[in-house]
Amino acid sequence: MIERGKINDNQFRVLVILFIFGPAVLLETSLLAAAAKQDAWISAVVGVGIGLLIVWLYTKIGSKFPERNLFEKLEYVFGKWIGKIVSLLFFFFFFQLAAHILRNIGDFVTVHIMPETPIHFVEIIFLCIVIMGVRLGLEPIARTGEILFPWVIFFFFIMIVSLPPEFKIENIKPVFEGGIKPILKGSTTVIAFPFMESILFLMIYPYVNKIKEANKAFFTGALIGGGVLILISVYTILVLGADFTARNVYPSYALAKKINIADFFQRIEAIVAGMWFISIFYKLTICFYASTVGLAQILNLKEYRSLTLPLGMIMVVLSIIISPSMAEFMSYLPKYEFPFNLTFGLFFPLLFLVVAKIRKKTGKEPMNQTKGDGL
Amino acid sequence: MEIILVKFKKTIKKLLKSESTAHPGVTKIGDTKPLKTRLHENIQFIKENLGNSSDLIIREIRISKKNNIKLAIFYTDGLADTQSLNNFVLEPLMLEMRKMEFDQDIYSNPNVALQLMKDEVLTVSGITDVVDFDTLLTTILEGDIVILMDGSAWGLKVGMRGWEDRGVQEPSAQTVIRGPKEGFSESIRTNTALIRRRIKDPNLWLETKQIGERTKTDVALMFIKGIVNDKVLDEVHKRLDRINIDGILESGYIEELIQDETYTPFPTVYNTERPDAIAAGLLEGRIAILVDGTPFVLLVPALFGQFLQSSEDYYQRWDISNLIRLLRYIALAISLLGPSLYIAVTTFHQEMLPTPLLISLAAQREGVPFPAFVEALLMEVTFEILREAGVRMPRAIGQAVSIVGALVIGQAAVEAGIVSAAMVIVVAITAISSFVIPSFNMAISIRILRFGLMGFAASFGLLGVTLGLIAILLHMSSLRSFGVPYMSPFGPFNPSDQKDMIFRVPIGKMLTRPHLISQKNETRGQNEPASKPERE
Repeated sequence: MIERGKINDNQFRVLVILFIFGPAVLLETSLLAAAAKQDAWISAVVGVGIGLLIVWLYTKIGSKFPERNLFEKLEYVFGKWIGKIVSLLFFFFFFQLAAHILRNIGDFVTVHIMPETPIHFVEIIFLCIVIMGVRLGLEPIARTGEILFPWVIFFFFIMIVSLPPEFKIENIKPVFEGGIKPILKGSTTVIAFPFMESILFLMIYPYVNKIKEANKAFFTGALIGGGVLILISVYTILVLGADFTARNVYPSYALAKKINIADFFQRIEAIVAGMWFISIFYKLTICFYASTVGLAQILNLKEYRSLTLPLGMIMVVLSIIISPSMAEFMSYLPKYEFPFNLTFGLFFPLLFLVVAKIRKKTGKEPMNQTKGDGL
Repeated sequence: MEIILVKFKKTIKKLLKSESTAHPGVTKIGDTKPLKTRLHENIQFIKENLGNSSDLIIREIRISKKNNIKLAIFYTDGLADTQSLNNFVLEPLMLEMRKMEFDQDIYSNPNVALQLMKDEVLTVSGITDVVDFDTLLTTILEGDIVILMDGSAWGLKVGMRGWEDRGVQEPSAQTVIRGPKEGFSESIRTNTALIRRRIKDPNLWLETKQIGERTKTDVALMFIKGIVNDKVLDEVHKRLDRINIDGILESGYIEELIQDETYTPFPTVYNTERPDAIAAGLLEGRIAILVDGTPFVLLVPALFGQFLQSSEDYYQRWDISNLIRLLRYIALAISLLGPSLYIAVTTFHQEMLPTPLLISLAAQREGVPFPAFVEALLMEVTFEILREAGVRMPRAIGQAVSIVGALVIGQAAVEAGIVSAAMVIVVAITAISSFVIPSFNMAISIRILRFGLMGFAASFGLLGVTLGLIAILLHMSSLRSFGVPYMSPFGPFNPSDQKDMIFRVPIGKMLTRPHLISQKNETRGQNEPASKPERE
């Protein structure tokens, strides 16, 4: 197998949380508020609920042929050639996702932190570290995640406890103003944005040392990540109001700017930025990892590391041309992302389950078990 | 055609032969020639092989007046204990033996005589037989003495090493306020004894190897059977056996030859001068590697957290040591990030500073011609030079250098307008913080990484610093020390091992050994909470 490392269920859970948490926390609330106004938080709850159902579907797929990763499963169920074509489609899905995330980073940094630095340089330096991580393999990535995770939680906690003084309860009134439709419309973005993308964890699934625990970790991870998402959307609406949230691209960053305790503890948005950096680094690394490993499998390579540099170069260019501007991207997200992700997040998984059932493939055919201590 | 071939083969054979006989006097390493019967031939051979070295002492004596049986004692001056030699070898052989009465006529057969000397005459404890020149030469060079007798093709090796050494002194690095003050010395025997004196367990095993083709340095492995992880032990054996080098002069050689990853700034082998630290490591299931000739003993597997612990943490009360440990982690962060954060904030993120502070900083930097990065680099390099000078220079001129250094790095540099006063403070606190890290080699790695992070900070601000930190963490997480993940118990998170990492729980609550290091993770003991005396 292409990856020889093994991770444990705790590390897997951390990866899932960071994945769901990351860019969603910064971008999502703006989209939610745009669709559902002050009911954004209800929208988030509905979205997370449906999202968890989808994650449950993925765990079903994950526990079928548990020693194969997504691309191997696809090839096994659909046969070699159709399987490879579908895998290639999935590869493009993962890869464009990675490019989008890279662009998000570039945009955020050039808008908020370093306006004079060209976006290419920011992206290249960020990608260098990502490539370094991917080349080191899954084990170091997961371990580093475990080390950084408490910090993310710590920063998040600081934000959560220091904001309540800024709450304005009238911001969420009136509830259900627009009825159920805008709420559902908002929830589609949540379903599409972090939850359907989490199908790429099926690439990592076989490298978790206990498959049953992996199912549980995947689900609880998604649950915690979703909880954070709901919490942030409630906070942004309560503090900033629906209108300001919808017009702001990075509402949670604006949220952190509001923190002011006794005129001393203030301007700590760098903390949010740090939290966001860590989680988005993880999302990008996992996407990039899944793409490289996947492509290496499609091409029948023995190892994936040689692909990291060329794919990285392509990705920088792709991330620049993928959307002409931030505004374009923000209008793309609510309109097209849901149907697009639906193809890969729901259509293919269901097709996979159906075909697997029809062809009566069981997971009994043995494959070489990888060795590793799951550390 | 064939003739040419045959000729060719012959010439090659000749060449090979001539090469092997090129230096007849010099013994090749691993050459085992049996001893000869005639004493003068043996003496001749030994002299030739040691190049007539002047510290080789050959004392020839006659043990009987009647028969002309000659006997020679070989030893290296300065390595053998001459006093004991006189008292326990020469005196019995030359005086007492003549008075003794034996069952048979020992002087007719040299072999019998030698055996009897071994069994009845010599009043020393360590005697073994020597039959070949290789062992014989090694024995002499190790400081033991060899007795050869005319007429017998074997000899006696008498353990009589005794040379000047430093003795047990207080360790110069890793000093403690409370705790044992004795440190390892250069003699491996003293060192093993120091460890044995602390752990009187029959399961404390000692295995010795000789490493180094020419130096033949004694290297000892110490571990507690039953606690040690056998997989790690096998790995250590394998790596030590793989070493093929002419000389081992310090445990640093061994460290570099057996460590998991050569191209890393981080040490993956722990070293210490303190016997109590080694004993604690052994009790946790680690393996000590002692090398003759150095007071620095290695301990594997070594994890990141270990380099931030001092043995005093366990001798002070737990609340005090927790505070100090926390302080150490803060110092680690300052010493790694100090200058780079300053550079990042003053260059890119001025908005993060409170306005009054920003104004005061800007006022200070007004006259400074360099960007913050150059300023920081200048000061850091100056300080590193001062520090290195402080280590290397003769003690007598230390005072002068420290005065000059204080002037250069402090007041004068600011007054001359080369650096800002704030920069001096940053460099000073960074430097002092790096001394807080108990392990010298970890402090050095942090120093190296500090410069890298300064570069990141100068080019990408806080983003660069964050990315640099993530890169360092990724690298550290990919390291292993003898198969154990370097960042455990943070890296693969292990809740039970957190009790002795950043924080230390009271010793009575520290019931299990580190999970990945010891074999069975068995309990250390069951401590009841101290019972209070009952009140009347």
